[in-house]
Amino acid sequence: MSIGLSRKRALAFSLPALLAITPFLGACFYIFRFSISAETGTIQGFSIRPYLDLMTPFFGRSVWLTVKLAFIATLIAMVLAVPLAFVLTSLRSPLARRCLTVTILLPLILNLLVQAYGWILLLGPSGVLNTTLRGLGIIDRPLFLLFNETGVLLGLVQTSLPLAVFPIVSSVRGLSQEHLEAASSLGASQWQTLRDITLPLLRPGLLGAASIVFAFNASAFAVPLLLGGRRVQMLGVAIRDMISPLFNWSGAAAAGMILIGITLFVLVFTSWLVRITSRNVRD
Amino acid sequence: MITRNDHLHIDGISKNFGDVKALADIDLKIQRGSFVCLLGPSGCGKTTLLRIIAGFETATTGRLLLDGNDITQQPPHKRGFGMVFQSLALFPHMTVAQNIAYGLKLRGINGKARRERVDELLNVIQLPLIADRPVSALSGGQRQRVAIARALAIQPPLFLLDEPLSALDAKLRDSMQIELRQLQQKFGVTTILVTHDQHEAMMLADELVVMKDGAIRQSAAPATVYRHPADSFVADFLGAANLVDAGQVSGGAIQLLGRPMSIPSKHPENTHLQAAVRAEHITLRPAGASDGSAVGTILFMRDLGPLTELVVDVAGENLRVRSTNAASQGMAVGSKVSVIVDPEHVSVFAAS
Repeated sequence: MSIGLSRKRALAFSLPALLAITPFLGACFYIFRFSISAETGTIQGFSIRPYLDLMTPFFGRSVWLTVKLAFIATLIAMVLAVPLAFVLTSLRSPLARRCLTVTILLPLILNLLVQAYGWILLLGPSGVLNTTLRGLGIIDRPLFLLFNETGVLLGLVQTSLPLAVFPIVSSVRGLSQEHLEAASSLGASQWQTLRDITLPLLRPGLLGAASIVFAFNASAFAVPLLLGGRRVQMLGVAIRDMISPLFNWSGAAAAGMILIGITLFVLVFTSWLVRITSRNVRD
Repeated sequence: MITRNDHLHIDGISKNFGDVKALADIDLKIQRGSFVCLLGPSGCGKTTLLRIIAGFETATTGRLLLDGNDITQQPPHKRGFGMVFQSLALFPHMTVAQNIAYGLKLRGINGKARRERVDELLNVIQLPLIADRPVSALSGGQRQRVAIARALAIQPPLFLLDEPLSALDAKLRDSMQIELRQLQQKFGVTTILVTHDQHEAMMLADELVVMKDGAIRQSAAPATVYRHPADSFVADFLGAANLVDAGQVSGGAIQLLGRPMSIPSKHPENTHLQAAVRAEHITLRPAGASDGSAVGTILFMRDLGPLTELVVDVAGENLRVRSTNAASQGMAVGSKVSVIVDPEHVSVFAAS
């Protein structure tokens, strides 16, 4: 092989990584086994009861809320990430590039609790925004931006933004300047070039980034817990409630399997979308 | 003065990149329907000039006049010049037909007329059957032709090419040059091509513009540039001439290879001169005939088939000689030869 590592050697070197993944796969299997257990507290016998018990309007709302919030947050994060990726690739000065990179990465580096308290200080009922607006006489009662869906959305967008930016940066880097100039020499305005050339060429990278961000947001736990309170029951929070106050282990496992199912479905669906849209069609 | 045949007038264009002067006061008038080659070594500013004409770079000073209209400030997509890029830049997410039709689509031409024009162009480039192929499935020569067809589909007033053949192998490049020239004449489109390959420039150009260090050194028909180079750089760059010291002008004569040679010169007396003599304009005879010509020794000799390539040492100067009959005259490395230079083929310049 020309890339330095023979397959055998590469396999040997990836053994530690494979070993590290094994317990995780084991846990997945364990959760699956628990989700078809006849008992709620221990693994015993087989039953599909844990799944049937989930067929309630309450759980349905939780699934819907999870998909909805994850989808909207992904959409917002992508819209914010594309221009950021372009700015990041256009920066010439290494210092400016490093500063912007660190700023974008900050949500990944900073402890989530610190971030959540930051949001509360800023947007909470007696936070900076509300006191300022009230001080200026613009509003009478504080705006409720936290501990509801808005708060969770804000948190999801913020935490997932870096995951969106960096894959897009690498596909923006792959764009050739000559393709854009060719379009413009043929008469395409900047918008037409963006629509007909840039976005289609970025499409695989964009869909890849979107599927990562969606999976991350759908399985979010800390953000809905800290910024949504008990009112925003995304699946992560719902699963915890089943375990902690209710001790319904098999139900929690079944809900976990459904969450994994949804995420996998979205990943497979987007990779299928990439495949069919990059196939050529004649207009 | 602007005549009706001046299609593009490059009027005093300069370009600075920071402190670097890439182009200095370029003046050039390009005739309607002509094929102009910008030729020069890398870094001479030829690509920058083409990009300014296309609108991808803005000139620091100067104007571009197309048919007398100032287009200096016009953005590239309003100029509508067809361009073929060095990387070809075919759109990878479109088929061949979609690539060629893209410019027509932007001009609001309907689907049926578009398809007809695409089919017509595919016939012209002799690839009628590849319309629905993705561009990734094409060979190098096919991609080349598709890129040319895409640029010509919009019937551009100017056709610009940036070293488009440099990625092809020598044989394919040769046949593409002929094809490109024929296409250009068929469409009658005013064409500007950038190249560093002097053979390519000679093959294609009606007018050859030789550039160096951001300035035009000579602009004329290829044969003129070859036979009467304006300076030693042009003589050396085009077809590797022998540049030899020619002494000072005195009495209308110079010293060439240690012999006086009278030349019709516009250079004043006592100017130090340099002479350029092309390898194929030197005749060798077996030494002995006392005809007053210089005598040299053969240092290197190689029979290339149609001609023989030699290096001859004459009075300390190493001359490259291309001879059609050296081998048959029994010459060999070490032989003494008479070196005869035809004064008609000697170009002289003030020594730099």
